Order: sequence, then C-alpha cells, then structure tokens
Amino acid sequence: MSSRTATHYRASQEALLQIDNLRTWFELRRLGFIHVGHVRAVDGVDFQLHRGEAVAIVGESGCGKSTFAKSILGVNRPTDGEIRFAGRPIRDVRDMRWYRRQVGFVQQDPYGALPPFMNVRRILEEPLIINGVKQSKERDERLRQALSDVKLTPVEEYLSQYPHMLSGGQQQRLVIARAIILRPQLIVADEPVSMLDASVRIEILELLRRLQEMYNLSIIYITHDLSTVRYFAHRICVMYGGKIVEESDVDTLVNAPRHPYSKALLAAIPDPDPDNVDTLREVPPGEPPSLLNPPSGCRFHPRCDAAIKGLCDVQEPPTFSPDRSTRVACWLYQDESNQRIAGGSSSP
Amino acid sequence: MDQSGEFTPNLSTNPLLSVEDLRLHFRTGRGVVQAVDGVTFSLDQNQTVVVIGESGCGKSSLMRAILRLLPRNVNTYSGRVLLDGVDIMEHSDERFRQEIRWVKTSFVPQAAMNSLNPVVRVGEQVAEPLIVHKLSKSKAEALGKAEEAFRLVGIPTDFLNRYPFELSGGMRQRVATAMALITQPRLVILDEPTSALDVLTQANMMNLFKRLKRDIGAGFILITHDIATSSEVADQVAVMYAGQVVEFSQAKEFFREPLHPYAKGLMASVPALKGNQRLDFVPGQPPSLVDPPSGCRFADRCPARFAKCDQEPPTFNADSGREVKCWLYQDVQPAQAPPVHPA
Repeated sequence: MSSRTATHYRASQEALLQIDNLRTWFELRRLGFIHVGHVRAVDGVDFQLHRGEAVAIVGESGCGKSTFAKSILGVNRPTDGEIRFAGRPIRDVRDMRWYRRQVGFVQQDPYGALPPFMNVRRILEEPLIINGVKQSKERDERLRQALSDVKLTPVEEYLSQYPHMLSGGQQQRLVIARAIILRPQLIVADEPVSMLDASVRIEILELLRRLQEMYNLSIIYITHDLSTVRYFAHRICVMYGGKIVEESDVDTLVNAPRHPYSKALLAAIPDPDPDNVDTLREVPPGEPPSLLNPPSGCRFHPRCDAAIKGLCDVQEPPTFSPDRSTRVACWLYQDESNQRIAGGSSSP
Repeated sequence: MDQSGEFTPNLSTNPLLSVEDLRLHFRTGRGVVQAVDGVTFSLDQNQTVVVIGESGCGKSSLMRAILRLLPRNVNTYSGRVLLDGVDIMEHSDERFRQEIRWVKTSFVPQAAMNSLNPVVRVGEQVAEPLIVHKLSKSKAEALGKAEEAFRLVGIPTDFLNRYPFELSGGMRQRVATAMALITQPRLVILDEPTSALDVLTQANMMNLFKRLKRDIGAGFILITHDIATSSEVADQVAVMYAGQVVEFSQAKEFFREPLHPYAKGLMASVPALKGNQRLDFVPGQPPSLVDPPSGCRFADRCPARFAKCDQEPPTFNADSGREVKCWLYQDVQPAQAPPVHPA
C-alpha cells in the first residue's frame, strides 16, 4: 500500500503520537457465543501528531471517530496496529501506565463526566493521588494552578462546590482542569463544546487554545461541527466509515475540499445568512455505511456522484497526495498525485 | 368550529397565532421561577418564527405555555394566546385537549427520535392522533393517511411496519415530524428538531422543513439555539433572554444586523465556515429566573449599559417593524409599551 506517501509532511519534526494501521473491531455475537461478524469501527488508520499541534477529527456519528479517540486513550484495545508515543510503543501494562499520565481526556458531557458526590477539590485531587503526588501541599498548589489556568477564579470560591452548583461552561472548565492537572503532553477532546450554549462554546474553545499555546500541548479535537474547527485546529482529518478519507490543512480543506465526502459535509453546513431560506442544500443520498458489512471498494462510492464504475466499487483507494499538505483516499486524485511525485518531491 | 361567529378585531390582520403578555411561572424550592415573563409576538400563516436563546432562557417553557403542556408546579399561567383569532387560553382543559392540542396545533419534541414508543410499529404511532381524536372513521383509513404523511416527509412507505429501533436517527426524526403533521394542524412547534442529528441529516431535515413550509399552509415555531441552522427556515426571529423576548425581527434584517446587544453578542459568537470574522462571546451568565434583576435583565452583561438600564425597558419599535426591548432604541421611534394589538 502506498498509504505512506505523505510521511514527509513535517518530517523534520519528530511525531509525538504515531499511529500505524490502527484497527479497532468489535466482535458481534448472537446469544452470547455465535459469531456474527465484526463492527469495524476503526479500520486501518494512519495518523501522526506533532508536539504543539492541534488536529481536528471530523465526521458524522458512527464514522468511528469516538472509537478512534478511545483507542488513542487506551480505553478500547486496538485489534491491530501500533501506537507509539514520543517514540515509545504502547504495548504492555507498564507502557500504558506511563502513557496514561501523558494524555488528558476532555469528555463531551461535562455533567456526566464529573462525579456528582465529589467537590471540586476532590475531583482535582484524585488523579494526583492516584499518580503518586504524596504531599498534600503540592497537590493543593497544583490544583489551584489548574483552576486558575482554566479561569475558575477566585479559586477559593470553587474548591468546595459540587458539579451541580456550576453552570455548563464552568463544568467543562473543571473537566479541562482535571485533564491538564497531570501536565500531560496530549489532550484528547471528544466534542468538548457540543453540549454547551453557543455563547459559551467560543469561550471554551479559546480557553483550550490558550492552554495549548501556554503548555505547548498537542490536541486531538473530535467533533462533527466543522464550523468550530477553523478557530482551533491546524489540521483536519475527515473520517468516514472507519477510515480517514482526507487529511489537510484547515484552510485548504475549508476552501478547497478534495474528497467528495468532505465536499458534501462542507456544503451541508449553513452560515447564518437570511438567503438560506430560498435555497435547498444538496445532500448526498443514502446513509452512512454499515461498519459491520462495509461496501466493497471505496466506502463512499454508493453515495458518491463522481464514482468511477469498475474502479471505486471494486478497489479500495489508497491515499494520494495531490499536494504536500493533503492526503486524500479517493481515486479521482490518482493522476494528480502521480504527476506531483514524478515532478520532484518523491521519496520512497 | 365556532370562531367564525366571534367578533375578533384581529381577524382583519389575520395573524395565525398571536401571543400577548404570556406568563408562565413555576414554584420551586428556591422560589418562583419566571420562566416565561410577558412574551408577546404574532405569527402569520405560512410563516416560520424562530425562537433563539440559550438554555434556561425559557424557550421550551414558551412552547409548553402555548400548548398548555404544564407540569404540576405552575404558579402563574396568564396572558392571551389567540389561534385564528380565538383565545385558546379561555378553553377548559378538556376542550383544549379535544379541539386544540394535536388537532390545530402539534409539536415535535426535543430529541423526538427518542420519544417514539419502542414497542409499537411506527406506522401505528403516526396514525394514533387520528384515532384518538376520531378524525378517521377506521384504523385502515388512519393508516392510509399515515402512509401519505410518510410520503410527505420522505420516508419509504414500507417503513410503516417497522419498529423505531429499526430506523436511523434521521428517519425517526422524520417519523416524529410525520406524526406532528398528520392531523393537518394550523400550527406546528418544533423544539430543537435537529440538534441531535448529524450534519448531513440536519441539512436533509432543513430541506424537508423548507418544502413543508411551501407545501402545507401551516405556521411553524422553531425553537433552537443553533443560529446558523435557524437561518435556513426563519421568516421572523424572536430572541429570548431570561424569560423575555428581547428582539423580534424579520429574519432578513436580523441576520444582517441584529439590534439588541444580546442578539449582537449571540451573532458574534457563531463561528462561520467561510469568511474570517473574529469571534466573540458574551461574558458572564444569564441571571437567575427566581429573582431576576428589576431593570433590564441583560444589563449586567451588556457592553452598552447606561444609567437608564436600571429600569425595565419597554418594547420599542425600531425601523421596519422590528421590536427591541432595549433603552438604546427609545429615540428611534415613539415608544409604545408593550406593543398591543387593538383590543
């Protein structure tokens, strides 16, 4: 497979997180023991993340983006493939213990993610205790620092409060404080603002961005809302049917999407404009593919209006690189990509 | 129906729905929550009004107040709701149930796709309002109408015999919409109809609403916090803040330039895909509805606050029929507070 044509992308920097050919399949059984098949939630994903980089993973529900996040976090055990963090492969329990300290998780629903019977102090202290910060004075200092980092100030006022006493935005700040309290290098944020009100969303995204710059964090931002991505991420990966179909710079993807699915996704998102009333939006027909029994060839071909008969429905497209910063898994770009490689920047 | 016999001066201008000074307060352990506090607006036939606001601003309570779907802890429930010129607030509960709810008005609840009965086939569920309200002579006829409703909202008719779990989220949302349309109501209220759906499904649903708006002569009230999506169907926009409507405008003007400072802040916080405007947010939090501030309820967060904001602003008429509850607009046009229909 030529799926590594674009590894030269920012090759000068060492990747913080390197994922090769990750597969996370769930076995489906009937009556508990009869094997029915596998749900291929994540099916062969190559992914790189550099230090201090924010990458958005965009896709509809059921495309595997949350499973991908959970595989990165080590919640779901990958079926196949390798995850390397700062050069160290994550294989056994000891790797995992070390690795989990480097990664923070910001959940989608802040209220559900916070234990209702713990106050703010305990919520933030717990990860420190578990990870062996023994002195209570140091713990106190660190949790105060985390709270002021997320702008829950004055700190004193919040320490004894319980999650239900906080507003949605404040709860999400607390979740973020908990995610950064171990000073991780990577934050995985799974739809961190989708449960919040419009006016608070931007506040939380700006907070995340500031923290990212302050601590040179890497962030994986998982969302279905492309319009917030621009204000946050450097790079976008579009997922469809358990695979990354396009990966590109934010501006390139928003202004010149290549994969037909990315195009459809962008066309479906309205900007506030009164003229919207007069036009119907174009939406590709059909529904996202079953991950139990995905279509042969390209997984988007049954809904794609540019599908090439005899190619797209038979053979799965490899990843092409029509330009340096873009990788796209679509047969439409095979020629463009070959020319470019012939033109010079080819590397094995 | 008996409204033809009544003398209602509103009949000449003929708004489909006219809500006047509607109040809905709840008793709670902390005091009386003024969830809807003096809301006035009107809606013409074939039009869609979008109610925008943050969570907790009372937009869902407004829907409950119009449909009289009240919980037990109601403290105050007053005002006038005129549907086709008839004050439906005067109806007894039984008459309201028989003649109004799901006959002349219907609604699609929030997360409608999860509101379906999991053990009843969707076709039967959609036909149920016709059977309950005896609008069909037989079950077969009702099911026939359900089939028509399915076609209207774009569900293959062989789905009639399926159970909700066999359908995707978008399809279930369509089923709930079909159920709301089957009695051919005059007014359909949609509470966050697309917030739980995917981008493509959402675009599909919005296309559906646009077609429905054109094809059936009903009025729609769309309650949402998603401003970008609401611009797809809005004719008028009502911005709610802390239980009150702070701005009521034609959508064409509103999306170009909102007037109320809160509406401006809200619009500035909407990320746009194209274009490169700086995003802003409204600092602070909405006031508690238990004991709201006596003056303008937005004053504490307002960048344009001045001395007069300590008093509650009446609703001013700004240009081209826009109504704004803000002292900044007192000089634009002579004040008329609140804008009343000739009684």
